[in-house]
Amino acid sequence: MGLARAVFYLSLLLLWQLAWMWGLPHYILGPLEVLRHFVAALGSEELYGHIVASLLRSLPGFAIGASLGIAFGLAAGVSRRFDQIFSPAVFLTYPVPKIVMLPLFMLWFGIGDLSKILIIALACFYPTFINAYYGARSTPTILVWSALNMGAGRLEIFRKVVLPSALPLIFAGLRVSLALSFIVMFAAEMINARSGLGHLIRVAENSLRFDLMYVSLVTIAILGYLGDSLLRRTRRRVLAWQEHPA
Amino acid sequence: MSRILPFVLVAAALAAWELVARSGLWSPLLFPSLAKIGYELALFVSGSEGLSQAWISLQRALSGFGLAAAAGVLAGMLMGRSRWVAGLLDPLFSGTYAVPKLALFPIFIFVFGIGSLSKIALIFLECLYPIVIITSQGARGVNRVLLWSAQNMGASRAEILRRVVIPATAPYIFAGFRVALPVALIVVIITEMVSSADGLGYVVVYALSSLKTDRMLAVVVVIALLGWLLDRALVALRNRAVYWEKLETYYV
Repeated sequence: MGLARAVFYLSLLLLWQLAWMWGLPHYILGPLEVLRHFVAALGSEELYGHIVASLLRSLPGFAIGASLGIAFGLAAGVSRRFDQIFSPAVFLTYPVPKIVMLPLFMLWFGIGDLSKILIIALACFYPTFINAYYGARSTPTILVWSALNMGAGRLEIFRKVVLPSALPLIFAGLRVSLALSFIVMFAAEMINARSGLGHLIRVAENSLRFDLMYVSLVTIAILGYLGDSLLRRTRRRVLAWQEHPA
Repeated sequence: MSRILPFVLVAAALAAWELVARSGLWSPLLFPSLAKIGYELALFVSGSEGLSQAWISLQRALSGFGLAAAAGVLAGMLMGRSRWVAGLLDPLFSGTYAVPKLALFPIFIFVFGIGSLSKIALIFLECLYPIVIITSQGARGVNRVLLWSAQNMGASRAEILRRVVIPATAPYIFAGFRVALPVALIVVIITEMVSSADGLGYVVVYALSSLKTDRMLAVVVVIALLGWLLDRALVALRNRAVYWEKLETYYV
């Protein structure tokens, strides 16, 4: 299987390279060309500045949105009163594309990084809230009863029963949120920014620098992949007790 | 009491907004009053211009989503039922899952042009992932006992697919649709905000650059309503198609 897989992907790349050598439109580069430009960009300082600018927007946004989402989601999953007051507002606004609030956020919080961080946080809030909420609600009642029976306090039940059974879904929510944080970061930077990978790709587009376009694309792809695998590795460690870690 | 509770927060938020708008502490440009937003909303919905912009966005979102639904269900089924296909395609989908496909948009503009096609292509790509991943999970998890009994009773492969695998996977397919539909809306709005001369995303950017915050917020309300209505429609469709399994969500 491993061999078939390697052959499959290598032949895809080979086909792409061959098609490029045969003559694709000039805005489509071959894989070797992309690699060459990317390595060249790694040697220049400019790219790192954009990477740092982008990460300084997406990571704080993700951290704020995800931690609030988990906290509120768990609270709504545990407390009926809070659930009744808070959850309808969340589920009502859930299908709204959060990015439309960006122009308004720019008016409120300025066109700098704060409005972008907040819009990323807003987007990240929803998946973590909903997953933490369902995670907490799906705690088997019988476990809560047994814990009660054995004399556990409310706090102890939350920490030792509810939280562990909510963790798998919380991680699922984190994974969606992390991917979302990169999308929203990129969108916000494409719409309005003076630095960052989204800005870089806009500049490249406007000045027809196709090499830069692909460099930006490859960089964001690698960042997204690294973030995701880091998260999955953490989950495997934290959820080592789970039978089928997906 | 518990019947009013769900509306308390929404009502409080609206009241707070109106209070801020009327306090005069901030410019009405930052917090236009609800009455002005409502007026613009009525204007937008009653005029043919606004509705045609909404229709353009809706067409793009649904075309991309429809293509992704067709291709995604097919690919997901294949990945779920064939270990070989799964082995080939799994690394592709899980490896590029967290990559913002939006970064491809500038290239798509060159390939498909600046019109609807590049947007539809991007919507297709973004919607494909949740549909493929969730469908393949569902198809992989079809109860083996059901498959065995069908085989035992002499069902052909096509019959098993039609009468066992597809019904068992249907709830997952719809779950994937439900994740993908808001994504379609998000992507259509983003791409229209980034580069377009029509559609709701464009109207938002245009209203803002002409400093008509009230109109912008009215359009935001329209987009929100659209997202909500699409979701409701999908749930209704799902409940008709998968009538034997209750939707296991609490509020939505």
